[in-house]
Amino acid sequence: MAATKPKSLRKKLEKATPYLLVLPVVAYYAIFWLRPVIAVVIGSLTDANGALTLHNFAMVLNDEKFWPAFNNTAIIVVASVTIEFIGALFLALLINRKFFGSSIFLFLTLIPMALPAVATGAMWITGFTAHGWLNSLLYYLGFLAEGDKIYWLGGLEANTFKLLVLVILVDAWQVIPSMMIILLAGLQNLPEETKEAGYVFGGNYMTVLRKITMPMLRPTIQTAVILRLISAIQIWLIIVLLLGFGRLPVLVERIVYYHEEVPGLDISYQMSAGYTIIVSVIVSLTALVYLRASGAFKKEEAA
Amino acid sequence: MATLEILNVTKRFGRKVIAVDDISLEVHDQEFLVLLGPSGCGKTTTMRMVAGLEEVTEGTILIDGVDVTDLPPRKRNISMVFQNYAIWPHMTVFENIAYALRLKHMAKSEIDRIVREVAGMTNIGEYLERLPAQLSGGQQQRVAVARAIAVSPKVFLMDEPLSNLDAKLRVSMRTELKAIHASAKATTVFVTHDQSEAMSIADRIVIMRDGKIIQTGTPEEVYEKSANLFVADFIGTPPTNFFDVTLQKSNGTLHLVNPHFDLSLDAANTARLNGYNKEQLVLGVRPENIVLTSEKDSIMGMTALVVEPQGSHQVIAFKMDEKMVKVVAPSQPKPDMGSTIHLNFSQGTLRFFDPETTFAIGD
Amino acid sequence: MNRKTKKTVYKAVKETIFYLFVTGLIGAMLLPVYFIISLSFLSTREAYRYPLPLVPALQTKFEMTHGERGYLLSVYDRVEKDYQTVLDTSELEKMEVYIKSQLGTSISQEEIQAEMDRLDDSGEDSIFFTKPRNLLYNYDTFFKVTRDAVPALIRSLEIAALTILISITIGGLAGYAFARYIFKGKDALKFSVLFVRMFPGVAIALPMVIILAKANLYDEPLGLSLIYSVGAIGLTIWITASIFMGIPESLEQAAQVFGATKFQAFMRITFPLALPGLAASAMYTFLGAWNETVGAIILTQFKPTFSVVVYQTLLGASGQVNLAAAGGIAMALPAVFFTFFIRRYINQMWGGVTV
Repeated sequence: MAATKPKSLRKKLEKATPYLLVLPVVAYYAIFWLRPVIAVVIGSLTDANGALTLHNFAMVLNDEKFWPAFNNTAIIVVASVTIEFIGALFLALLINRKFFGSSIFLFLTLIPMALPAVATGAMWITGFTAHGWLNSLLYYLGFLAEGDKIYWLGGLEANTFKLLVLVILVDAWQVIPSMMIILLAGLQNLPEETKEAGYVFGGNYMTVLRKITMPMLRPTIQTAVILRLISAIQIWLIIVLLLGFGRLPVLVERIVYYHEEVPGLDISYQMSAGYTIIVSVIVSLTALVYLRASGAFKKEEAA
Repeated sequence: MATLEILNVTKRFGRKVIAVDDISLEVHDQEFLVLLGPSGCGKTTTMRMVAGLEEVTEGTILIDGVDVTDLPPRKRNISMVFQNYAIWPHMTVFENIAYALRLKHMAKSEIDRIVREVAGMTNIGEYLERLPAQLSGGQQQRVAVARAIAVSPKVFLMDEPLSNLDAKLRVSMRTELKAIHASAKATTVFVTHDQSEAMSIADRIVIMRDGKIIQTGTPEEVYEKSANLFVADFIGTPPTNFFDVTLQKSNGTLHLVNPHFDLSLDAANTARLNGYNKEQLVLGVRPENIVLTSEKDSIMGMTALVVEPQGSHQVIAFKMDEKMVKVVAPSQPKPDMGSTIHLNFSQGTLRFFDPETTFAIGD
Repeated sequence: MNRKTKKTVYKAVKETIFYLFVTGLIGAMLLPVYFIISLSFLSTREAYRYPLPLVPALQTKFEMTHGERGYLLSVYDRVEKDYQTVLDTSELEKMEVYIKSQLGTSISQEEIQAEMDRLDDSGEDSIFFTKPRNLLYNYDTFFKVTRDAVPALIRSLEIAALTILISITIGGLAGYAFARYIFKGKDALKFSVLFVRMFPGVAIALPMVIILAKANLYDEPLGLSLIYSVGAIGLTIWITASIFMGIPESLEQAAQVFGATKFQAFMRITFPLALPGLAASAMYTFLGAWNETVGAIILTQFKPTFSVVVYQTLLGASGQVNLAAAGGIAMALPAVFFTFFIRRYINQMWGGVTV
């Protein structure tokens, strides 16, 4: 009997191994993620005196900037995810052709991803000011007459639409590389023969891309898009760097605005907590809808 | 050396999937035992349980009489050649072979001696300082074998070690493995799905199917005395030809009757079927036991559909009731394709099977 | 023969067009980067000129004449293509400071004195001379003048290193479990990686101020790296799982059969094989931690990170665009350097990752 004791312990330990391996992550998330999240949830449900209330959400929904922020965010998400996906896919397909110098090309395309937000901020701020490098370049190229200037971010004609377009382009510039590497890895892991078979049986570049490459790439596309979708809804820093608070309100910018810019108000904390919860709910729902619509859940159901 | 006993071992994955179903098996000292079966039959799982890489759900495994069922692999005194070789790509050939010896805290000079000895045995002496990536598939295979024999294990396990080699190399490595086994004298368990490999290399073959052992025996036994339809079909190329026949008795002799032939059995075969009282029977005849004869000695005349000369012999195929029947005959005389051939069975080698149970009758 | 040449020509033309296209594409993509680099080398005077000079000048051309208060100094303006008067003084120090700080040009008081003497001796109305630019002047100034730049840089490195350490150990363990085991809650945990990102990171940083303050970690590098790791661990799990999946389990099992414990097998076989991929994953984490700005603004007070210092230079009242550009470029350098290595491991890192 004594001989069986150590054996069962070993077996138990072996069974427990994966759980022991993931335990640190779970504990870490509990302490450094769940705890602050709970704090925010509680903050969103209590008033300044600590009493339970739903009033905070009502305040957020009645905030004059809530709906503009919501709409701006929605437009940015739809446009930027679309543009970024197409751009990233294009670059990934190009690099995957493995032409001479494609490795250096890859490195160069990754540079926007490596640049810190403050560096890109500095880059676009100095570009978009009236006497910045963008106008200078246009002048040298002959598109701008002497003394003529485009007021990219300001001036009378600075309407929301123009600002949105600029923000979306600037965001795409920085984000495309990180989406591209995921797609590129997926492309490189596709067996070459499947594409070759497509060509042998009479496909041209576009049909092979549409009928073979893209469907096989689907899990990778899902990964790339869901990651991007989640962070696109939370865009704000580049907007504040370029425009400051309030000129082009978006949802997460409102969180920071209430907490950092107007911390003195009675309702500041409640407003920022309320906004946070609403943003989280929107992100979760969007992610869920996307995963469901794109069929990411299907394989688990089938298994 | 050592014996290996597998006693009533079962392996379940999850609740439903039974990979190995209550098998028992003994491997004798210095024996070369082959576990043979189609993919998914449980042979690799059985071997991995012996290695300790797979937990045993029920049952006991003994090496030299010692219960190793719950010991980790390193305490079992075994070694293994993996299907994909599993030689470590970041270590040189020398380090690959020496790794296990170092873990045993052997003296440096001793390790050096053993590595050079096994490298000599496997003809990789000149590659000791190379990395695996610089070796061909066959050379990598030799490294895996050298690594496995260096530790002088009690039991030597090989999991389809030749399946990644090209056809020609596979046959020559087969001979070499047999020679290495003869000199190393290790108790060996060898897993394969290739019956000709099993036939040529094994002292004893264990045929598995659906997690169960179907037959155990020497290559000759499983070939000549196949226990059931599955084994008779699985072993041998071309496989056994099967004929559905009806048993008829007239004048004290038994006849096996089929629309194409009427075979009257000799006394010995009649005796074998004495206790059998069903009307239907499956007759099994090995391709080399169907003989080309003159019209007068034949029991049937068929149209030769395909004639494949093989040099030393020829394979003739004809069709009977939509089923292809193959005959292995001496290379002469060579019938023309489409001509009529006259055939008989050699009575001493007939196999009878019960169509309902699929088991052999009259052994 | 003719057809062959035709084919070669066709191919050459096609390839030329392709490379022109690729070069054009990368040129357009990196144009903004070029300008910020160029800006970081411009003198303060030129940085505020319009139109902005396209390339930094390598030298400054001066004209010196006699002025009302002493010597009248003019510099060649590349926009106006003419000399423009910038200073009228006889004080050597004032002149030196102006030339160094506004024109980013190396000069010593002795050299200025020599030029003044040359003007006086020559009897001419004006003399011309040229001095080399100090191209690194902005970088130099950024680190010297900006309060805290160097200690902040060291802190940022420390934070990045700690973040890598935390996320690679904790995330790597889980990544290994993902690659090698089937266990209950695996899918839930896989999605939790996404889930964690669904809550705005900036909103987590706010309550963390209190939590960190209680633990005496507020305004400390360790505190920041603990926060950064929350985001980093998730991706590390995915990436390391992908890396470990790429290493056949049989290699580890072979080591176990040949006498190693599971731990020994991991350390001697799997770990060294995974090391390059893990290093790439670490560099990826480095990018995140090194570049992060918002959390650092919220969670530091007297001990800002390098990104905060650059941010303050950029938006602060004392900010000069060319200094901010120099700070931004200095900050981008290590990140770009690591990206150069990461690109080789994209496949290993992301190959096995799917939602």
